[in-house]
Amino acid sequence: MTDRRQRGPRRGQGELEALVLSALREADGPVSAGWVQERLGGDLAYTTVITILTRLLAKGAVTRERAGRSFVWTPASDQAGLAAHKMRKVLDGQSDREAVLASFVTSLEPDDERLLRELLGQAGGEGED
Amino acid sequence: MGVFVFLPLVLPFTAWPIARLAEQRLHPRTATRLLTGVAAVMAACSTVSLGLLMVVGTAQLPGNPLPDGWSDPEVREAVPYDEVAGKLAIPALLAVLLACARTGWRHGRTRRAAHRALAGLPGTAVAVLPDETPYAYALPGRRHDRVVVTTGMLARLEPAERRALFAHERAHLVGRHHRFLLAVQLAARANPFLRPLCTAVAYTVERWADEEAARSVGSRRAVARAIGKAALASRSTPAGTFAGFAVPGPVPRRVAALLGPEPVPRSWPSVFTSVGLAAWGAAAGTAVSALSSANSAVTMALILYAATPL
Repeated sequence: MTDRRQRGPRRGQGELEALVLSALREADGPVSAGWVQERLGGDLAYTTVITILTRLLAKGAVTRERAGRSFVWTPASDQAGLAAHKMRKVLDGQSDREAVLASFVTSLEPDDERLLRELLGQAGGEGED
Repeated sequence: MGVFVFLPLVLPFTAWPIARLAEQRLHPRTATRLLTGVAAVMAACSTVSLGLLMVVGTAQLPGNPLPDGWSDPEVREAVPYDEVAGKLAIPALLAVLLACARTGWRHGRTRRAAHRALAGLPGTAVAVLPDETPYAYALPGRRHDRVVVTTGMLARLEPAERRALFAHERAHLVGRHHRFLLAVQLAARANPFLRPLCTAVAYTVERWADEEAARSVGSRRAVARAIGKAALASRSTPAGTFAGFAVPGPVPRRVAALLGPEPVPRSWPSVFTSVGLAAWGAAAGTAVSALSSANSAVTMALILYAATPL
């Protein structure tokens, strides 16, 4: 185990995992293991940080993606927000995205709004915002 | 062979009135299948015809790899205006192939990017994204399909309307509607005259999913309300500016159709109605297009075979 080489008193696994996780949560986005190590004040060896991150990954508490030759890590609780952010980038970057991902509704023509409100009035009166 | 070799290039014109009638009068499922089939056959014929013209055009170029016999006067006689048509066909066919490849590539890239964006989430059938912008769509996948919807969209809908939204997107996935859409998009790239069919199928596919959703939630009004509210919620993006020409856009037409009676699915309408006339017209146009390009292809192959030095 790499933990044996660490300086200072030996800490429990749970405590180390919580430390790494809280460091990750303070990051603005996906960060490298090196960033986490620095954030923790160099208290842990790089390999230890990697070991803990890998263990957290197996538990589903973090996710990682490849960035160049290494990985960047994200806490899992932010996954939904991150996915939403990424999806917006996909949709915004696609000028003719309606051609690929058929969305529920397409954009309205100038006169459509009035017509639509009239129709919604017929459709049960719940149409008004 | 004569001018018949040009017919498949212009016959897609005949599909325009048909596309309009089919989208208004036929059951959306029938209309989608009919129009996609017509578009695919016509696009294939048009491309074959373009390929034949290109062979004749290329054979005249010095240093081309084709057999010398292919530029014989007998071969050139087979195509009217062979000088001009042959040379125009080369860039035209290249443009068609490039445009189709680009469309296919973009399709794949966007779908992969969307799947990658969702990679961190649990693999549920519905992915709810915390985003104020209201949008929803069906994301087909190789292993599992997903419905993507934002919290902004869900917040604006009543429970019955949410069910309608999910049923609509699921209908897209179950019916593999994206394949119809891709097919007509490729067809429109192969021959620009087929673009109205592309627009028509984009509409009939939505109508198809609307009808499936209405059946699955048991309320046409709930689906209509869901569509209307979703459209009004996401109206901030301004559409076209041609207010003078404005016919009702696809969204009000979908809502109006849902407030009307359920369309009756019929297998093949009688020729004595306007719908029947449209369907038969489409069939006839497609048949003529297919026949004339098959005729051109066979004739051309025979001529080229005869002209090939053994």
